[in-house]
Amino acid sequence: MRKLTILAVVALSALLLASVATAGKIEDIKKRGVLIAGVKDSQQPFGFVDPQSKQLVGFEIDLVKAIADKLGVKLELKPVTSATRIPMLTQGSVDILAATMTHKFERDDVIDFSITYFMDGQKLLVKKNSGIKSAADLAGKKVGTAKGSTSEQNIKNAQPKSTVLSFETYPEAFLAMNQGKVVAVTTDSGILLGIKNSAPNPDNYEIVGNYISDEPYGLGLPENDSDYRDFVNKTLADLWTSGEYKKLYDKWFGPNTKYYLPLEWKMEVWPN
Amino acid sequence: MNYQFNWQAVITGEYGQWIMDGLLITLQISAVSIVLSLVLGTLIAVMRLTKVRILEWLALSYTEFFRNTPLLVQLFFWYFGSHAVLPEFVNTWLYEHDFEFGAGVISLTVYTSAFIAEEIRSGIFAIPKTQLEASRACGLSFLQAMHHVILPQAFRIIIPPLISQFLNLIKNSSLVMTIGVMDLMYMARQIESYAGRGFEAFTVILIIYLTISLAVSFLITQYNKRFLRQIAY
Repeated sequence: MRKLTILAVVALSALLLASVATAGKIEDIKKRGVLIAGVKDSQQPFGFVDPQSKQLVGFEIDLVKAIADKLGVKLELKPVTSATRIPMLTQGSVDILAATMTHKFERDDVIDFSITYFMDGQKLLVKKNSGIKSAADLAGKKVGTAKGSTSEQNIKNAQPKSTVLSFETYPEAFLAMNQGKVVAVTTDSGILLGIKNSAPNPDNYEIVGNYISDEPYGLGLPENDSDYRDFVNKTLADLWTSGEYKKLYDKWFGPNTKYYLPLEWKMEVWPN
Repeated sequence: MNYQFNWQAVITGEYGQWIMDGLLITLQISAVSIVLSLVLGTLIAVMRLTKVRILEWLALSYTEFFRNTPLLVQLFFWYFGSHAVLPEFVNTWLYEHDFEFGAGVISLTVYTSAFIAEEIRSGIFAIPKTQLEASRACGLSFLQAMHHVILPQAFRIIIPPLISQFLNLIKNSSLVMTIGVMDLMYMARQIESYAGRGFEAFTVILIIYLTISLAVSFLITQYNKRFLRQIAY
């Protein structure tokens, strides 16, 4: 028995210490012929399952598609949630994250980010005539959000007197609001637009409040691989300057879509 | 291995505070559920032993239903599912109070009590039937016989399997984070997604869960030893 225990301990330690050989990501991806991207699967219009085709589609999915094309490889999508996305990238189960992730310095410890590819801010989604107009009205009330999101922290700072309930996904938080468990769902306005306008009766809800925070989205990339990061940044900048970005943006957020969100910011493009 | 361990980050400062908060909730929800499931489980077991057909049948269906369905499904059933069937005013009242915690307690209690009922029933069956007959012959009522003769002996046999049910409950309580209860598991995932320190956070809570389990099992065993001395044959 004792021998067994010692053996088990030794085996475990060996596992933990097994060093991962790190070649550059770009070579890895090209050798594999596939770029594996972690994306959201229930967040209109960023990444969601299209009801007709049963395929994952969305703004962020088009974006990683463009990056895969530039690399000359196929694209494979893996669904992630706000809570699982960073661990999946650090473990190497995905090569890149396009999952409505806000770039925070705190997250820079373990992963790297591309330049900002989408700019948003946090607001509130409430039922019409709920009497809630801003974070100030949430004192003593419950508000729903998703686990592992910046929204959770921001609302706690904006309204310390509210109780924050976190669910696995935003649709679940929205269900909780419809059942009356929370009075509002709070996150970035683009996501809220998606939730509201994919509901059967969008007119019963409204998005209220001033921006509680700035939410610059960055693509998540493995830590310390600057060749790969430079490549992704260059691809984003090229998309922006060629006008390709605007086309993609209008496809999902343009005036003729359900999710109209005027493009009011500029990507930081460095000269060639 | 190019990962830099940072244990300091998860046991001190804000994240350390989160873990403490989570620990408190885990202890609270486990303690409340253990007490309630013991009471409910005993009740169900006694129902199975009375010779009233309808009570027996009720207790049997209860046990079989809750023992043979996944706890996670039960959690969602109580938390999201109950909304549809309860009257509006009840729902409103529930949501004004801490319904997440409540739904967690209900799920853990109901699920575990079904197992506990089975343990108690088999413990009671282990006591020879003649003892019950002898106590009845001495003029004790059925409940008196249970209380003074059968249960004290049965509980000695039941204690070890009962401990493992309590430990299961404590471990199962990590599922309540799916309905927004901020327990240990919830906080560890929180730290993982905020700071990317998943390995450290989960290692710390594994050790905490282990400590709680060992402490509970040690305390009950100690109590049992004393208890045994008191009612030696």
